[in-house]
Amino acid sequence: MAYDEKVIKKLEEKAKILRRDAVEMIRAGESGWMGGSFSQADIIAALMFCYMKHDPRNPQWEERDRLIVSKAHCCETVYAALGEAGYFSKKEYQSYGKFGATLQAHTERKVPGIEYSGGSLGEGLSFALGEALAARIDASEDASGRPVPRFRVFCIVGDGESNEGQVWEAVMAATHYKADNLVAIVDHNKFQSSGTVEERINMMPMAEKWQAFGWDTTEIDGHDFNEILNALEKADKVKGKPHAIIAHTIKCKGVPSFEHKNLHFCKLSDEMYAEAIEALK
Amino acid sequence: MKRNYVMEPLGEMKAMYQAYNEEMVELVKKNGNIVLLYGDFPRGAAGELVQKEYPDRIYDVGIAEANLITTAAGMAGAGKIPFTHCHSIFAVGRAYNQIRQNAAFDKLNVKIVLCNSGMLWAFMGGSHQIIEEITALRVIPNLVLVSPADPVETKKVTKAVAEYFGPVAIRLANPPVPTIYKEEYPFELGKAVTLMDGEDATIIATGIMLADALAAADMLAKEGIKVRLLDMHTIKPLDEASIINAARETGAIVTVEDSSIIGGLGGAVAEVVVENCSVPVKRVGIKDRFGQSGTVAELKVAYELTANDIAKAVKEVIKKKPPVLASQ
Repeated sequence: MAYDEKVIKKLEEKAKILRRDAVEMIRAGESGWMGGSFSQADIIAALMFCYMKHDPRNPQWEERDRLIVSKAHCCETVYAALGEAGYFSKKEYQSYGKFGATLQAHTERKVPGIEYSGGSLGEGLSFALGEALAARIDASEDASGRPVPRFRVFCIVGDGESNEGQVWEAVMAATHYKADNLVAIVDHNKFQSSGTVEERINMMPMAEKWQAFGWDTTEIDGHDFNEILNALEKADKVKGKPHAIIAHTIKCKGVPSFEHKNLHFCKLSDEMYAEAIEALK
Repeated sequence: MKRNYVMEPLGEMKAMYQAYNEEMVELVKKNGNIVLLYGDFPRGAAGELVQKEYPDRIYDVGIAEANLITTAAGMAGAGKIPFTHCHSIFAVGRAYNQIRQNAAFDKLNVKIVLCNSGMLWAFMGGSHQIIEEITALRVIPNLVLVSPADPVETKKVTKAVAEYFGPVAIRLANPPVPTIYKEEYPFELGKAVTLMDGEDATIIATGIMLADALAAADMLAKEGIKVRLLDMHTIKPLDEASIINAARETGAIVTVEDSSIIGGLGGAVAEVVVENCSVPVKRVGIKDRFGQSGTVAELKVAYELTANDIAKAVKEVIKKKPPVLASQ
């Protein structure tokens, strides 16, 4: 299904803001997670500004959908989305990564809108599973006797991060408990800290692995809003299984001269900063 | 010698996990937020009840301790009170980062039941006997670490832990232990219990070793040596005031644990003593060795954990008192 052009246009605009604000944060913090922040930016925009049920005026609303960004080596576009949505002032961006800052170099739950303190890889999907199971406890039931969870949980998992065995422990358990209110989105940007995913420890083919563990699995272009939104809608309809969306993405997507480069954790020189701001106008 | 709160003679032998389950059976009925999670671990009475009556409040993630702890943290993030159950050696050894990062870092309301805790899971041998848990866990900020001594205290700990908001690890040793306490004794998290008072030295014991420490204190009393006996059931936050008072008032301390003395209860007490009131300390516990199979009695002899060893340590530490204290 093709979405309304206005919706797509709005999301494209939001994603551009997220990338631009992330550049400002990385500039202010003098370091940052450029590659992952940019590869996931469109997915974050689709979730936060179109798909998820949440309320910036009430961050602790019990029935809000949860976004767990597992690796957190990409926190800038998450902070940018929360700032853009109104969870906190964009003035916070200027102290990103500095001593005493609210916005630490990895996400922390003390920040309004952040659900999970990330940074230790491979753990976020388990946390998301715990939230998803909790959403079904004492929940009402539908006509077929299935619990109607009070909220959904979306978890962004890195492809390099999936080297961690705990990811697959959570994958097994989510299938066993038919956690169909859990959606894992793999930001499959093909790079990890020190090289490509294929060079380091080859995990291809990625989608088949999730499928083999019993997940409802969809492969998409993670920069195409129609594909992102359709995959999320499909995930909502398929019952009895957790959902994996394998999003093929491009590391540093959004600044053409940076794309496909492993700017995993980097500093922005004056030239790079100017180039990024120009590309994101 | 006069004993406070102690049954005369000591009561029924019971496994701590059984006592824990007996209390948990009551707690799960009263508090609908309690969720039980297992890592392929036997359910016990509470698990069986929850499976039957409240099936959406029990989960088993299989032999996957890392996932067990983090899934529990996620549940706590959504307002539940998860209790995890697996062997201590694997919770602490294989899911240390998950305990630190997912439970303690955000002070989430996760309760980690360290089953078959300590050195005295006798038959299983060195791969399963954990000597590191006190050392490894007490260094983690926000985490409360409790080590009950008998079935009555295990029940009181279980209730208190369910009522406390925040991450807690509970050490439950495997072998059946005698009932030391009368039901009505006062229990407070973070506050040591004085079972006996005396002025010659203080024995500070934790967990399964309290019964041996009590026997040692009785043996010493018969020889005219009067010791204070403290049950340090909460390792963290440590009851520093009781330790400092013991140092000031008795001038010598022996610590007793079924865990490594390196950074264990012995290490923790020694830190407080040297910073506040330096007196001789001797540490009874595991001395930088791995475990092995055997009976509880054989292991206690081999690792110098018997009442005799404790009594011997007390005599040695009294000899080390400086003259001014020794003459008191």
